[in-house]
Amino acid sequence: MNKPDIAAPGLAPDILRDLLDFMDRPGGGEDAFNELALRLFFHQFQHNHAFQRYCRQLGKTPRTARHWRDIPAVPIDGFKDLTLSCVPPERCERVFMTSGTTRSDIKGRHYHPHLQVYDRSMAMHFAQRFMRGEARMRMGILFPSEDMMPNSSLAHYLALALHGFGAPGSGYFIDENGMDVDALIATLSQAERDGEPYALLGASYSFVHLMDALSARNLTFRLPPGSRLLDTGGFKGQSREIPMQAFYRQLHAAFGVRADDCINMYGMTELSTQFYDNGNAVHPPVKSGPHWIRTRLVDPVTGSDMPAGERGILAHCDLANFNSVTTILTEDAGIAADGGFLLLGRAQGAQAKGCSMAMDAFLKAAQA
Amino acid sequence: MTTRIAAGYLPGLPAESLAWESRTFRARGQAIEVALPRPTPEQLILLAAKVRKAAQENLAVMPVMDVVDAIDRCIARMLDAADPARQEMDRLLSIVTGFDAEMTRLGINAILKTFRRPQLLRFLAEDFGDPGLLDDFRPRPKGGWTRAYGPKLLGHVWAGNVPGLPLWSLVSGLLVKAGSLGKLASDEPLFAGWFARVLAEVEPRLADTLAIAWWPGGDAQRERTLAQQSEVLTVYGGDATLAAWRAHAPVGTRLLEHGHKLSAGLVSAAALDARQSLIAARLAATDMLRWDQQGCYSAQIFYVERGARVSPREFARQLAGELSARQYQFTRRDLSLEEAQSIAAWRQAVAMQAARGADVELLGSSADPWALAYLESALPLPPSALNRTACVLAVDSLDDAAASLSAQAAYLQTVGLMASPEELFRLAPLLGQAGATRLCALGSMTMPESGWHHDGRFSLLDLVRMVDIDMSAEQAAQGLADYRD
Repeated sequence: MNKPDIAAPGLAPDILRDLLDFMDRPGGGEDAFNELALRLFFHQFQHNHAFQRYCRQLGKTPRTARHWRDIPAVPIDGFKDLTLSCVPPERCERVFMTSGTTRSDIKGRHYHPHLQVYDRSMAMHFAQRFMRGEARMRMGILFPSEDMMPNSSLAHYLALALHGFGAPGSGYFIDENGMDVDALIATLSQAERDGEPYALLGASYSFVHLMDALSARNLTFRLPPGSRLLDTGGFKGQSREIPMQAFYRQLHAAFGVRADDCINMYGMTELSTQFYDNGNAVHPPVKSGPHWIRTRLVDPVTGSDMPAGERGILAHCDLANFNSVTTILTEDAGIAADGGFLLLGRAQGAQAKGCSMAMDAFLKAAQA
Repeated sequence: MTTRIAAGYLPGLPAESLAWESRTFRARGQAIEVALPRPTPEQLILLAAKVRKAAQENLAVMPVMDVVDAIDRCIARMLDAADPARQEMDRLLSIVTGFDAEMTRLGINAILKTFRRPQLLRFLAEDFGDPGLLDDFRPRPKGGWTRAYGPKLLGHVWAGNVPGLPLWSLVSGLLVKAGSLGKLASDEPLFAGWFARVLAEVEPRLADTLAIAWWPGGDAQRERTLAQQSEVLTVYGGDATLAAWRAHAPVGTRLLEHGHKLSAGLVSAAALDARQSLIAARLAATDMLRWDQQGCYSAQIFYVERGARVSPREFARQLAGELSARQYQFTRRDLSLEEAQSIAAWRQAVAMQAARGADVELLGSSADPWALAYLESALPLPPSALNRTACVLAVDSLDDAAASLSAQAAYLQTVGLMASPEELFRLAPLLGQAGATRLCALGSMTMPESGWHHDGRFSLLDLVRMVDIDMSAEQAAQGLADYRD
């Protein structure tokens, strides 16, 4: 891991240094998190005018914020409608864009002046949660490369995994021509013979396509002990939706990897830090992040915390989001659980109960 | 304490032969547990056969005026405020739907009142002119004879948005002497069974002509069974639900669809003087408050004309004042997380438009159980997120409203008007052209009259099969009469 350059643009060197120190310090501590969050809030309020307007509209400013919970959570739609960046976008090294679900014509944009913090956040937590102490292992990536998708945060994430943690023999299995199933079969068969643990990482739907291809050829694998799988993204909006529990059963049947070693990553373009579970033997599994991200369960209208034990909308405060906004309001429902939260899927807006047309239907009609 | 109650109405099927699923409803600190009967596809076929037979033997032979009397007696019982069953139902429905208790009581009365004897007769006259068509062949002015036959089995698939909704299709089925097999909505599984039980009590001959069951929406096997058993099938639901039922209905089954709708209020400059505008705001609020905008006829957007003493923006403030004042008279339902998310997303969309410099004002804080977006000009915003949220859009002329609504023609239903007589009849053809199927007074949007053309269709005529005796048959028969010359 490269040592970050604290003189990188976009953030006062003292905050950047303290942020990196905090990330390095195991556990972090509540007070230190709070202090950094408020410093970042002040910085973003000052330098990010769209964010400032948004805060003023809500009547919340750094002057009145005493706690990281007081920082206004920006709805993820804000990344579509507003330019949420302290550094002018043209001076940002990278912009990640959302693929979009309901408003597919407009993409959310997350500007990164540099990727030092993002990469560090990814690597530190990935090492702990997916590598589990291994320095490197052989990996197959079921997703296009960064060259093919320069604005995909997932492509960048998987590139970091491959280059930072992949042993010789690791590589991509998706290119301009789609998934190279033959090469995958050869590689997985080789791994079976070698007895060396192997890791497959990619989008959830890539695994579905792969399993379809394998079952068409009547093939299953028993990858060596220590092998593991990482999927992400779920199935919303894909041609085939399968229940997650069935998905992990099928993964086990297809690759012989224990559900405990099938790890789901929950990430968002609008964040710079990811959440993981510790395997999918039980459903839904507890998701958690590192100490530099904290999550609240809120009432989406008032933004206030839900009573303990009730479902709420997830709002994340990610200190690694130093240039955009630390705190975002997702559209995902969750419930608090020991050590993290359970992800309950996207709160789809009102389930229309009858004949009164709800918003989703209207949007569909408007797009038609 | 949790009340337990069994839903549905399944004549001939003993309770112990059925699978029951329990669903708990909570509102305002009270809970009730509803047991929902989930018959197997085989049991559904048995039910359909029983209902069909009972309807042929008892209902088809009953003069339509006797059917009207039976329904009238049933509705009178349901309206009886002293009846303990009615009192209990008020309480249960208010918990199940979450609607304000008083709103529920008043709303149920309003619906029941549209099905008393005089209204039922009007209902019949509306579609048939001569309701005797349902009893016998009647002479036609052009020559020949005609009789109307209801389906042997009318299938119903109800939505759970507004209590009392099943009454429209159940009563229509009875009037055309059809047997009925209905599927309850998971969100309001009580009303239909209550009606069936009371009807069986006041007119035992009709006891087996109705059956009401439940299964979770989307259960393909049971849904296909109902669709195959039904001669006519009435479905209330969203686009996805309708599409699924369309796929289930075999050729020959007539499918009557009631999908999601959009309804709007129009306020003319004529109604925007200092006194009238307050009345208009009050009426507009009524159309938002009743059933918390869950009805197809609920107002989701208001078009307000410029050029009067009271500006559209001031009208929006007056409407906000009404919503604010009346939130205590009728409290809003507790919202699910999904409903709250929907409102949050709508508020955010309005706020984002404002942040981008659009002339839009969000009225109502995040703590208020209502919200309005005042728009100086049209924006790509959903009109409403339901549950007391709406756009108020300023227009130079209400003609512009008709033009704007025509973009939603397929979804448009009710337009509530506050306008002068000249404007009413000038706008009516424009709104009709735009896709609207009902124009009513502002404040009356949620109370359709009996015999209305729901979604522009006929409540009874759409159910029946007309059988003609041509003049030629009559004339040919004359040639074979004993007394022929």
